[in-house]
Amino acid sequence: MRPTVEEQLLGTCRILDTLVSPCVTDPYARTLLEGLIGNLRMLTLALPAVPGFLRSDNRATAELLDKLRVNVAPELAASIALALAQPEPDTADMSALDQRNVELRGLFSKALCDSGLTTGLREAALAHMKARAAAAPMRYVSTTTPPKTALTKES
Amino acid sequence: MDEKIFTRQADTVKGDKSTSSERIVAGLQAMITDAIPTAHHFAFTGVERFAGGLSRENWSIDATWVDTAGAQSRHLMLMRDASGTLLDTDRKREFGVLKALEATPVPTPKAYWMDDDGHWLGAPSLVMDRMPGQCEYLVLNGTRPLDDRLKLARSFTDLMANIHAIDWRALGLGEVLDIPTDSPSRVELAHWEAEYRRVQLEPHPELDYVLDWLGLNAPKAQAIVLVHGDFKPGNALIEGEHISAKLDWETAHLGDPLEDLGWVTNSVRKREHQIAGVWEREQIIATYRALTGREVNEAALRWWNVFSCWKLAVIQLTAVREFVAGRYDRAFQTPSWLYRPMFQMMESPA
Repeated sequence: MRPTVEEQLLGTCRILDTLVSPCVTDPYARTLLEGLIGNLRMLTLALPAVPGFLRSDNRATAELLDKLRVNVAPELAASIALALAQPEPDTADMSALDQRNVELRGLFSKALCDSGLTTGLREAALAHMKARAAAAPMRYVSTTTPPKTALTKES
Repeated sequence: MDEKIFTRQADTVKGDKSTSSERIVAGLQAMITDAIPTAHHFAFTGVERFAGGLSRENWSIDATWVDTAGAQSRHLMLMRDASGTLLDTDRKREFGVLKALEATPVPTPKAYWMDDDGHWLGAPSLVMDRMPGQCEYLVLNGTRPLDDRLKLARSFTDLMANIHAIDWRALGLGEVLDIPTDSPSRVELAHWEAEYRRVQLEPHPELDYVLDWLGLNAPKAQAIVLVHGDFKPGNALIEGEHISAKLDWETAHLGDPLEDLGWVTNSVRKREHQIAGVWEREQIIATYRALTGREVNEAALRWWNVFSCWKLAVIQLTAVREFVAGRYDRAFQTPSWLYRPMFQMMESPA
């Protein structure tokens, strides 16, 4: 389908950047607009990666929960078992993938704070959280232009 | 708009929450008239909303009027709660802190009037002197010569020590701010945990994990001092080589001095607070120790380092919630960039 979603988003950014932004003179509105354009550009790059990220994170979280459930309180272990028994959502259904992610991460949150976890399991959980943070496709876009650094100026 | 003169009658827009310049000027005129009933012949020029300020609208306004004391002229800064705000703070407390600080060497703007319930301006607001100087949030890593930046870095630590040295009891701040009834670390953690639960839209195992650690490791305070609560160059004005004003006292409270120190020695905001190789965590702590004579417990400071990141994450979640609700105009993301630095700080030996 042309224009693709990516092409349309990039085209929108271009028009906002080159035609609309120069006409906005109010400093506050200008800062907001720059932030919104930056965010749209970030989304253009991030959007194609989101379904894959959710699929991968759901799989990794489910595997981890399967390990954690033997060490947590019985009621939580039963909730985890029930969730893990559910079929994985359609990989093309982003809303279902997101819903599944919320469900699994909610259980992971509870399991993490269970005092019964062994050191090894805590380390596995920590590694999982670090890997997820590194892979998260959507990032905050600063609206402030960084100044020239001192190193650049003086070196 | 800079030289436009506003003379619109205030009462026509009372209760209006819009943010137009006319609305702000009308509300300000009404507030001044209420405070100084003899004031008349108002003129407002240079009305401009500044681009900065994530929690509040910052308006610069030059006001003149005539009252029984004669012709008056003020360069004013009006700070008004935004419709979607990241920090739910109390204007009465901030006004009380600013009034108390007028009697101290801490450079702060003179506070004139407060609209604590938004009666005049549609949202809680403060009006104060517009101080000279520029806001340069990355001044320590900007284009000034290294010696100048180092001098400013020391000035910021001096300023922090001066704030912490204030005799808050003598200034009556015990009546304005809550005196912690438990360890300040626990009081702050409880406050921000409630905020976290209020704003979270989805599970955040990473933040729950850190919260659990914070609860288990909360330190006791050596002293109770006035804490700024958001100590950074971005909340100050710099004129030449000097700090001309410390601003944004809405998060000021009585607490642990390590809270402010924990923020500036925190690894995630190095660009704002530190200068690589010459003004890093070690130098800041040594200078603070020398200025205050206070011991800095490394484990306690680490706790405040982690807490400051966690609190920042909660503030970002507030922004996410407000953006989704259509009350905030900047798009924020889940603060996953803060998770790994927090884990690293928690793992590092005290």
